[in-house]
Amino acid sequence: MTTTVSNLESEGLPDPTGHPDEMDRGKVEGKSPTRLAIERFRKDRLSMVSFIIVALYILGGILAPFLVKFGLLDPTSYHQDLLNEFTLPEGPLGGISWKHPLGVEPGTGRDVMSRVWLGTTLSLTIALIASLLAMAIGTVLGIIAGFTGGLTDGVIGRLIDLTLSFPSTLMLLALSAPMYALLTKNFHVPEGDLAWATYVVVFLAIFGWPPIARLIRGQVLSIREREFVHAATLFGASRFRMYFKEILPNLWAPLLVSFTLLLPAYISAEAALSYLGVSIKPPTPTLGNVLRDSLNYAEFDFVYFFSPAFAIALIVVCFNLLGDGLRDALDPKSNR
Amino acid sequence: MLAYVIRRIFVGVAMLLAMSLVTFTLFFASPVDPAQYACGKNCSPVQREQARKALGYPSRGEGVWESNIKGPAEMWGTFAKGIVKGRQFPADEELRKAAPENVVDCAAPCFGYSTYSIRTVNEMVGEALPVTFSIALAAVILWIFFGVLIGVLAAVTKGSFLDRGIVGTSLFLYAFPSFFIGTFLLTYISIKWSLYPLPSYTSIADGGVGTWASNLLLPAVTLAMLYMAGYVRMTRAFVLESQAEDYVRTARAKGLATRKVLFKHALRAALTPLVTMAGLDFASVLGGAIITESIFNFNGLGKLAVSANTNYDLPVLIGIVLIAGAFVITANIIVDILYAFIDPRVRVG
Amino acid sequence: MANTRKRLLAASATAALVVSLAACGGGDSDDNDSSDTKATKGGTLTYLLASPMGHTDPHRVYVGRDISNLSRTVYRQLVTFPTATDLETANTPVADLATDTGTSSDGGKVWKFTVKDGVTWQDGKDITCEDFKYGASRAFANDVITGGPNYLLSYLDIPADAEGAPVYKGPYTDKGQADFDKAVTCDGKTITYNFKKAWPDFPLAIAALHMLDPYRADLDKGEGSNFEIFSNGPYMLEGKWDENKGGTLVRNPEYDPSTDSTDNRQANPDKIIFDIGKTPETINQLLIQDSAEVQAAVTGTRVLPQFIAKAVGLKDRYQNVESPYVDYLVPNTKRLSLEVREALATATNVEAWITAGGGEKFYKKADSIVNPVVPGYQAVEQFKDLGAGDPDAAKKILEGAGVKLPYKLKFTYDGASETADKQAAALKETWDKSGFDVTLNPLTDAYYPTIQDPNADSDVTWAGWGADWPSALTVTAPLFDSRINLTPSSNNQDYGNYKSDEFNALVDEAQAAGTLEEQTEALQKADAVLGKDYAYVPLEISLFNWVHGSKVNFATTPASNGFADLGLISVK
Repeated sequence: MTTTVSNLESEGLPDPTGHPDEMDRGKVEGKSPTRLAIERFRKDRLSMVSFIIVALYILGGILAPFLVKFGLLDPTSYHQDLLNEFTLPEGPLGGISWKHPLGVEPGTGRDVMSRVWLGTTLSLTIALIASLLAMAIGTVLGIIAGFTGGLTDGVIGRLIDLTLSFPSTLMLLALSAPMYALLTKNFHVPEGDLAWATYVVVFLAIFGWPPIARLIRGQVLSIREREFVHAATLFGASRFRMYFKEILPNLWAPLLVSFTLLLPAYISAEAALSYLGVSIKPPTPTLGNVLRDSLNYAEFDFVYFFSPAFAIALIVVCFNLLGDGLRDALDPKSNR
Repeated sequence: MLAYVIRRIFVGVAMLLAMSLVTFTLFFASPVDPAQYACGKNCSPVQREQARKALGYPSRGEGVWESNIKGPAEMWGTFAKGIVKGRQFPADEELRKAAPENVVDCAAPCFGYSTYSIRTVNEMVGEALPVTFSIALAAVILWIFFGVLIGVLAAVTKGSFLDRGIVGTSLFLYAFPSFFIGTFLLTYISIKWSLYPLPSYTSIADGGVGTWASNLLLPAVTLAMLYMAGYVRMTRAFVLESQAEDYVRTARAKGLATRKVLFKHALRAALTPLVTMAGLDFASVLGGAIITESIFNFNGLGKLAVSANTNYDLPVLIGIVLIAGAFVITANIIVDILYAFIDPRVRVG
Repeated sequence: MANTRKRLLAASATAALVVSLAACGGGDSDDNDSSDTKATKGGTLTYLLASPMGHTDPHRVYVGRDISNLSRTVYRQLVTFPTATDLETANTPVADLATDTGTSSDGGKVWKFTVKDGVTWQDGKDITCEDFKYGASRAFANDVITGGPNYLLSYLDIPADAEGAPVYKGPYTDKGQADFDKAVTCDGKTITYNFKKAWPDFPLAIAALHMLDPYRADLDKGEGSNFEIFSNGPYMLEGKWDENKGGTLVRNPEYDPSTDSTDNRQANPDKIIFDIGKTPETINQLLIQDSAEVQAAVTGTRVLPQFIAKAVGLKDRYQNVESPYVDYLVPNTKRLSLEVREALATATNVEAWITAGGGEKFYKKADSIVNPVVPGYQAVEQFKDLGAGDPDAAKKILEGAGVKLPYKLKFTYDGASETADKQAAALKETWDKSGFDVTLNPLTDAYYPTIQDPNADSDVTWAGWGADWPSALTVTAPLFDSRINLTPSSNNQDYGNYKSDEFNALVDEAQAAGTLEEQTEALQKADAVLGKDYAYVPLEISLFNWVHGSKVNFATTPASNGFADLGLISVK
């Protein structure tokens, strides 16, 4: 229920948990048997389809580097002999052929399918690491805030408000030059792809954790009052143990749902950042930078124009539907 | 109530202060000398020193304390003073004396001076803001109108093929990157098929309301696509939920027509959170619709930020970041206060 | 000296210069000179520009396109280049605001010009010798009047201070005023410039640039005048110039055509609107479609690679023009030995670079950094046969050099466009096959600070250049003379940190030469030295592709640097 989508303009970064006011409504119902949830999920055809597509993407993503290694995918070789005198692909539909199922790139003759495929791997990886990082920060701070309450809770609450006030896309754009320099010069991250990837991952997470923290805090507040926590306190469990051993396992359901909704938002965010030129740069392909180039050929090479955009849209939609499906399955009270 | 309002505003101001501090730290805790960063793309050492003097940046010291803490703090102090009291540029007194005809007065709240563009940040932002405001306004109208309409439609056909189709389509439109949608609209709708004239921003003063609005349509559609899906789903959820509420059921039981129940009761309950949400989103777009403005070449805050970023124009970037932040914080304060009026319980919490 | 010029190189479309236009390509560019006969007065011409002009102040303009546009419309010069298409005539300055093309004495160290009678500003006041003198003084305020050419600083006979800069600091302070008054003198309507060293081609320089334009002291607001236009030409600005939107030029009622020549300015349209703000893509699309709003429009935005197929099909609305600019690679001589540089040049795949950049409609292979139309050009032996690159030969050279293979190489380039990325990767492919291990380093904000850093972690970079006026002295000397470029903190334009006494001596010889023949010979020798040392690797000469609206009689001339020439264009 509520909004699972986010916007990339300015305030940009996603709020995968929905509107904060709605938080309490998303309560997970204690230890709802996992099997029941799975059964419910399997009955939901749309979610199953999404799940399969997402799985295929992930599988393809893992395979891509190996395919490149064995020469089955080749995102970098130039085939300028496949271009006409105006350096557009020879032949209809952007030069589609058996060797190049999505045609070749204008100007270079690089294989479009290889670039989109490997680009998917990199974009997924960046989104995955960024969302894991955001979830980690959000979860730790959320548990601490929820469990300790009082001053700590207040400080974390203000920190959340403060972070949310930053125009995140703008910050990611504006900070790119100084922070790239910081990463490469002071932290000795090798220049180029790795430094850009690090920049994007770290700063997506820095501006992306607050909604997770809010969600987890809410969950902890309700769990805190339950018997097993009281019991653990009685048995003299240490605070640290309590946070992570007793409470964390009870949060997996909302975390899983948040994760499946945060990840696609980060795929979109990475694409937007590539468009603005502050992510991994060509010739290394990401979905975003392939799309950025293909925009130039919107009118002349529709296959090229459409391929990377569709690859992004499909995975983003499927992850979102998967997230919805999971939430419905895990929380049967929701309205779907 | 007044106490609550004051407290809320106080927190907001504190938040802005904290935000500006964080921004300065982030920008200056890097090995890039801020004077270099502020002096434009092709900056020789001589020009860099001139920029440093013109902007009143401290010279870059050695060591962590000098360069990463003292420097930013000093610059933040000057900046804050400028906000409260206004400033003069060049900041260096000798430079001002040497060429009094080139002194620029920047009245409070002064957000800084761009040596690259030879203008105050206030002036540049002042020019860009109406553009961004116009796009944001047009977009918010579009996305609320269509978001709610489609959301209600989906809710009343709940579970049907139409419902799924609507939600799916809006999700798909959201999932396509906005720069793809924008480019598509521009290249195909506007230019190739000539279905809609090429948009270029025209202010109301220059072209009247009609021209102003018609030029905004395509950018607004691009921007609205991003938000609409969220509103469709939110509206749908609210309507479905409120239909289950007692008072709606009562109304139904009393024999009121479905449509009447829907609009009079269910939708009304959903409207408050929707409008709140839209207000907050609107405020965030005011900070600059970066991608939309870039695609359509509208000189709003977002495009200003992009060019400031390519030109290494630090004062402008900082100005825009803080102004955008101020919008968000202000919108939050307004929402909170309005809520406090509506629901007195809030004040206690 | 002129690090103000750097910004101009990036787009490879910049510094001012004069060259021939070998009309090539589509075989339909013979439109150029026939436009004279078709010229009709009246109408409104639109000039579409994608990005703002940096300056309209005559002493700050340094972009070839803008120099020509302003010359033809609002800023007349002492001498100017005519709108002829014949190279010989086009490269010969003619009198404009002066009565003749100047007289020199003392072996080219003293130049005298007399201001014509009856030439006025747009407010009706006469243009005086003092206005010229004041104009010359502004370049010395190089903290205020930035961006423009600053040749005057090194040529005018003004003593230097401890830092080697002239003691005169421009009209906004009174430092060194007496020295300036001695260097530039007015006698009635005659102005005299006294130089430290001979400047035999001075009239070429001032016809190609606006550095000696007159300026009204009473209207000078220093930095605040950056976007002012106070005209003495056939047009004047209506209202204000808006940096981001442009401005409208209308006829200047005070302009007296009898003081001017239609060989220089036909001034055909009644109105010229500079329209800034559409993206290059949009400008391309609108012009190709010949949309109603652009039927009377020309543009300073070239056809982008993706639009070229469509543009070529437009027949008479399309032009392909050879530009004055040459793009080249600069190996960092501090880090790469001579053998490695040789291997690099041998392995450079210029053909792939050209294709990735849009193909042969956009580039023509170059064999020297000096454009063939500039006196002092000759094909450089080492670069005659650059083509697809020869990985095997290059590998042999590398192996012979005894360096460890693969040889690590960092290629820094201005990564602001997708095309640049593709071109860089095209070079990488062949270099990698030749025993190099190339890292691409696309930079945007940090590009110039990096390549100008003498200790930068970069092995090769890319640059573009065009002569300031028709002499190779304005090409190789500013780019490779270590004495004017290399400082501990910056290499200025000598991005490869190249330093050669042999080359410097030849530059001195050229500068001291009494005749143009001697000068040319010395410059050719100097270029040969650069070739022998692999100080650069020439890539290509840029070709300009233009599309204009159907209601325009288009024209481009050497004087307009391959851009549309507003002195000739008319609206049908």
